[in-house]
Amino acid sequence: MSINRRNFIKSLAAAGSASLLTIPTTARAAGKGKVVVIGGGFGGSTAAKYIKMMDPAIEVTLIEANKTYTSCPLSNEVLSGHRDIASLQTGYAGAVKRGINVIHDHVASVDAAKKTVTTSGGQTLGYDALVMAPGIAFDYEAVAGYSKEASKLIPHAYKAGEQTLLLKAQLEAMPDGGLFIISVPPKPFRCPPGPYERAAQVASYMKHHGKAKSKVLILDANDSFSKKGLFEQGWKALYPGMIEWVSGANDGKVERVDAAAKMCFTGLNDHKADVINLIPPHRAGKIAQQTGLTNAQGWCEVVPMTMESTVHKDIYPIGDCCIAGELPVYDMPKSAHMAITQAKVAAGAIVAKLNGLANPQPWYVNTCFSTLAPDYGISVVHVYRVTNNQFVYVKEAGGISPIDAPPLQRKLEAEYCVGWFNNVMADAFA
Amino acid sequence: MKRALLFCAALSAAPLIYAAEPDVAGLVKSCNNCHGVDGVSVGQSMPSIGGLSETYLLNIMTQWKTGERFSAVMGRLLKGYTDLEIAALATHFSKQPWQPVSQTLDAKLVAQGKDAIERCSSCHGDTGVPDEDDTPRLTGQWAQYMELELLKYRDEALKMPHKKMRTNGKKLDAADVAAVAAHYASQKK
Repeated sequence: MSINRRNFIKSLAAAGSASLLTIPTTARAAGKGKVVVIGGGFGGSTAAKYIKMMDPAIEVTLIEANKTYTSCPLSNEVLSGHRDIASLQTGYAGAVKRGINVIHDHVASVDAAKKTVTTSGGQTLGYDALVMAPGIAFDYEAVAGYSKEASKLIPHAYKAGEQTLLLKAQLEAMPDGGLFIISVPPKPFRCPPGPYERAAQVASYMKHHGKAKSKVLILDANDSFSKKGLFEQGWKALYPGMIEWVSGANDGKVERVDAAAKMCFTGLNDHKADVINLIPPHRAGKIAQQTGLTNAQGWCEVVPMTMESTVHKDIYPIGDCCIAGELPVYDMPKSAHMAITQAKVAAGAIVAKLNGLANPQPWYVNTCFSTLAPDYGISVVHVYRVTNNQFVYVKEAGGISPIDAPPLQRKLEAEYCVGWFNNVMADAFA
Repeated sequence: MKRALLFCAALSAAPLIYAAEPDVAGLVKSCNNCHGVDGVSVGQSMPSIGGLSETYLLNIMTQWKTGERFSAVMGRLLKGYTDLEIAALATHFSKQPWQPVSQTLDAKLVAQGKDAIERCSSCHGDTGVPDEDDTPRLTGQWAQYMELELLKYRDEALKMPHKKMRTNGKKLDAADVAAVAAHYASQKK
């Protein structure tokens, strides 16, 4: 049987990309290099995929504890009932198909000097480059009375999945006229507009499910927040009188909780609630701290051209664990979009380095949509450039949706948010 | 031998040609976030952009950047890039193959749309393949995206500069907006 070009291409298409990667084992084992990626969220998964896409000869191993990933973006819509949690979930079949070695385990330790990673299961892997994408760790102890155990009674729901469903169940069970408290930690935290979008989605549930006399009280450790004017406008238009925000300066900072009694204590006030959603302060994921990559505030600092750690060579902290941008004012938000663009910069830098090529020009961009109702979306955009090896926030670009935008823009942004979500999920995991 | 010489000549000329070209390989990848790998979107409200004409892409991105045309998000992004970088993006995406997306469409709506495209087809063709370079290809584009674009042209509150699209978009029967979008979305080539 002769194989002409057309049939050959057809057979490749039928077999999928895996065949391309599994056949020439000898060719790809030619010592191009080994990359280990810790963490299979948006950042880590994207880095693994793009390294493999740019150079299939590089051996890529992705270490991720969970077999199912649940997206935090759009998870607030699970609370309102506008979205099923399954629509936010994906596995790692896409990575496997691309020839990425996926290990489902925790990482016990990283030896930055020997350039090895050891899993909890006892497997030790050497690396030429390590992508550190563990996301965030909660500082439970920062709020007296809170703990991982207490989060089963007063959920944070800031790592999506079981916690999201727990918070949803509590919302469903609360009485009409009840109080739902969202406690916001000091900046920086992941998804800066997240708590305020959550307030809208919770109010949406209350409004449409016979709890319209209930209230959402946001107790905030901060004095301002992302897209504040837009959120306040949207809350007022969509859920009048249902959402109240208390700033840090106005006694908004929660210092202690009593999980069993459903009480929040600020400096001057005691708040009795029906549901408490306590988002504890964040730091870089534990393995990043343990590897010594974090600064005094608990975040990984990076080299703007490459996303390489300023502490250890050949380790690239990306996504929520890093602190980057034109600091201190224009930090890069801890968002999925930002993590994906950082991942692509790190992937480009690693592939160039392992191939002995010049580092490509890095590009950083962010888009964060927030959905207040199915036809009401708002967004913020950030564009960063790297000039003289420094992050520069481009002030001419970016910014928030206009406050006086016509209704159609709000609808468009709500729809674009869904289109964005489908594309980022595919970009990272397919 | 002659071919080899030509090849060498092309190589040596390359640095001269590309010296002024911005390195947008990384920037292209950041477009993937919303528009899909190689500009093939998998989100219904987000357009595929790989394989659209260079003229169209350059025009529309420039109009968004300058604010001449309304955009919900794109203008805020493009203000961060130079005209040369935007031109390089247009060139890159125009060179990708156009890949109609597979989508679930209501057959009745598609049939209704087929009979309602008279205001569209003089520029966009019967199947969405335009005659002119400044007109976007619609063949197998996402229906929801096209419907939202039509809503933009039909809304006086938004600055949409294309007079012909404004006029025809507004004259279109409200019930046909989703239908014409479905028709073009259903086309395969």
